[in-house]
Amino acid sequence: MRRPVAAMLAALVGTAVPAFARDVPPSLPPYTTAYQPQGVDERGVWMEADEMERGLRDSKTLIADPKLNGYVRDVVCRTVGASRCGGVRIYVVRDAEFNAFMTPNGTMVVSSGLLLRIRDEAELAAVLGHEFAHFELRHGLNGFRQRRSASDVAAWAGVIAANATTYRTAQTMQSIQVSAIGSMFAFSREQERQADLLSMAYIKASPYDPGCFADIWDRMLNEGDATAHGRRQRSKRYDRASFFATHPTNIERATYLRDLAVDMHKPGEAPREDDAPRYDIAMAAWRAQFLGDQLKLNDFEGTDYLLGELAKTRWTPDLLFARGELYRSRGNPRDLVSAVGFYREAIAQDPTNAEAYRGMGLAQLRSRDPAGGDALKRYLVMRPDAPDGAMLSTLVQ
Amino acid sequence: MFRTLLRPVLAVVLLVVAAQPAWAQEKSGTKEGFVLKQGTAKILLMRPTIKVGAQSTGGMFEPNADWTQQAKDNLGAALSVAQTKLGNAVIAADEPVGQAAETMADYRALFSVLADSVIQYQFFPGNRLPTKKRKGVFDWTMGPGVGEIAKGTGADYALFIFDEDQYGSTGRKVLQVFAALARVPVKSGQHSGYAGLVDLRTGDLVWLNADQAMGGDVRTPEGAQKRVAQLLEDFPGSTALAKSAPKLASK
Repeated sequence: MRRPVAAMLAALVGTAVPAFARDVPPSLPPYTTAYQPQGVDERGVWMEADEMERGLRDSKTLIADPKLNGYVRDVVCRTVGASRCGGVRIYVVRDAEFNAFMTPNGTMVVSSGLLLRIRDEAELAAVLGHEFAHFELRHGLNGFRQRRSASDVAAWAGVIAANATTYRTAQTMQSIQVSAIGSMFAFSREQERQADLLSMAYIKASPYDPGCFADIWDRMLNEGDATAHGRRQRSKRYDRASFFATHPTNIERATYLRDLAVDMHKPGEAPREDDAPRYDIAMAAWRAQFLGDQLKLNDFEGTDYLLGELAKTRWTPDLLFARGELYRSRGNPRDLVSAVGFYREAIAQDPTNAEAYRGMGLAQLRSRDPAGGDALKRYLVMRPDAPDGAMLSTLVQ
Repeated sequence: MFRTLLRPVLAVVLLVVAAQPAWAQEKSGTKEGFVLKQGTAKILLMRPTIKVGAQSTGGMFEPNADWTQQAKDNLGAALSVAQTKLGNAVIAADEPVGQAAETMADYRALFSVLADSVIQYQFFPGNRLPTKKRKGVFDWTMGPGVGEIAKGTGADYALFIFDEDQYGSTGRKVLQVFAALARVPVKSGQHSGYAGLVDLRTGDLVWLNADQAMGGDVRTPEGAQKRVAQLLEDFPGSTALAKSAPKLASK
C-alpha cells in the first residue's frame, strides 16, 4: 500500500533528488526575442504580471533616475547579451532589503538594498543573471503549474482523509497532504538552484569573474550572523533548509557556486578591482539615501557589519557619517562618544558635510558637552533653509 | 515569493477548516442625503480592475487572459448601456502620461484601500468603527485632491470598478461532491467585486457597493448585463423615487 502511494506522489509532485555530483553550468538555451506567451496558463500568468507591472511603472517606490536605471540595464546586457536583455524591463525600487525578483513577463525588480550591498559590477551581474534565468527558464509558469498540481493532490488527500473509515487511511492521506505542501517549497528551492546554475553560464560567457557570486553569500551569512547576534538570536548559518524555505540556504549556495567557479578556471577579463570603481561611480549619487534607508532598519550589529564591509580598508566620509548616525541612534553614553569621533573624521575628510555637524552637535549636547552648540550653529549657517532649523535653533540659545 | 507559495497552502488548509462564511453583512452604502439628479451627471469611468479565471481543484486562482478580455469588453458595453438609461454620460478615463500617471496610480491605490476599509470597518457590523456606528452614517473621503485625476474632462464623479471572478473547474466541482459526503463544505467558484462613486469636487465617497457573491457570467454579454445590474444595484438615482432618507441596504 505504502509504495504505490509514494510512487504516485513522486510522479505527481516531482520530488527533487539531491545531486551529489558536482554541478556543471548548463549550456545556454536558444533564445527567441519578443517571445509571446503560449497556452491558457502562460497567457494567464503573463496577464497578471502585466497588470502588476502597470502598477509598478507609476509607483512612488520607483527610483526613476535615468542614469542609475541605464547603468543597471547595461550590466544586464553585458551579462546575458544584447538580444536577451531586450526582453526585460528593469525597475529599481526603494527598499532597504537585499532582494531582486523577476516576474513571468520579463519585469525585473531590483531593490536598493541590493545595490547598497553589492561590491562591484561582477556581483551585480551574477545576481541579475540569476533573475534573468528565472525568466528564460519560465520559472513563473512552471512554479504555478507545480503549485496547482500539488494543491490538487493535497485537496484530494484532505477529502479522502475526511471520508476515510479507517485510521490507517486517514493517517496516510494526511502525510500525503504534508508531502504535497512540502513539495511546493522543495520545487521552489530547486528552481532557485537552476537559476543560480544558468546565471553562472551567463557569467562564463560574459566579461565577468565567476568567483563573485559565492562571495555575496559569504557576506550575507556574516551579516545574518551579526544581525542575529545583535538581536540575541541563534545563528542560522549552519541550519538546513527548512520545510517552508523558498530558497536554498546561503551556505549551500556559497558552496556550490564556489565549486562551479573553481571548475570554470576563468578569471574575469578585467580584474575585479577595475569593476569596483565603475560600480561606485554609478551608485555615488544614491549611496547616501541607500545608507539612510538601511539605518532605519533598526539593525545595529548588521548595519555596523555592512558599513565595515563597504569601507573595507578606507572609511569614506559618507560611511563615517552613516556610522556616526548609527551609533548616535543607539544612544548609550559610550555610543555618543564613538559617534562624535566618526562625525569628526567625516568632517576632517569633507568639511562641507553639514549633516555631520548636525549629528556631532546633537551627540555632544546629549553628552553635556557645550561644544555641541557650536557644531549646531555651524550646521545652521551651512544650511540656512534646513527643515529642522527652527527646532535646532532653540537648542543653541 | 514566499507569499505566492503560501497562498495554495492556505487554500488547502482552509478547505478543511473554513465553513462558508454567511454573508450576513451589509453590502452597500450611500452618503447621507446624497441624491444623484437624473440625467445631469458626467461620470468618469476609471480603468476597471478585472480579473477572470478558473478555480483549480485545490482552490488556486488560475488567471485566464481570454476570459478576462471578454469580461472587459462585455462589462464595458453593459455599463454604458446601463448608464445611458439613467441619462448619465459615462466617459472612459484616458491613460495618462508623466506626472498625471503617478497621480492616477496614487488615487487608484487609495481607492482600493478606501473600499477595503469601508467593507471591513463599516459593512461588517461586528467590526464597525465607533465613528461609523451611528445609524445611517456613511462618511468616507479621498480628499478634494482627487479632482486632479479628472482635470480637463469636466466630469462630476469618478466611478471605480473592481471585479474578480473565479469559475470552479470541473475538478473543483467533483471535489466538492466528494467533500460533501464527508460533510466538509467546499466552495466552488468565487465572484466578488465592488463599484464606488466619488464626488470629484469634495473627494467624498458618495456610494459604494461591494458584493462578495454575485451572479451573471461576465464571459457572455447577457451575463455581463446581469452583473452590471447587480453591481449598480442601489446606484444613486437608479430608482425613480428620490431617496430622501439615508440608506444602508442589507442583503
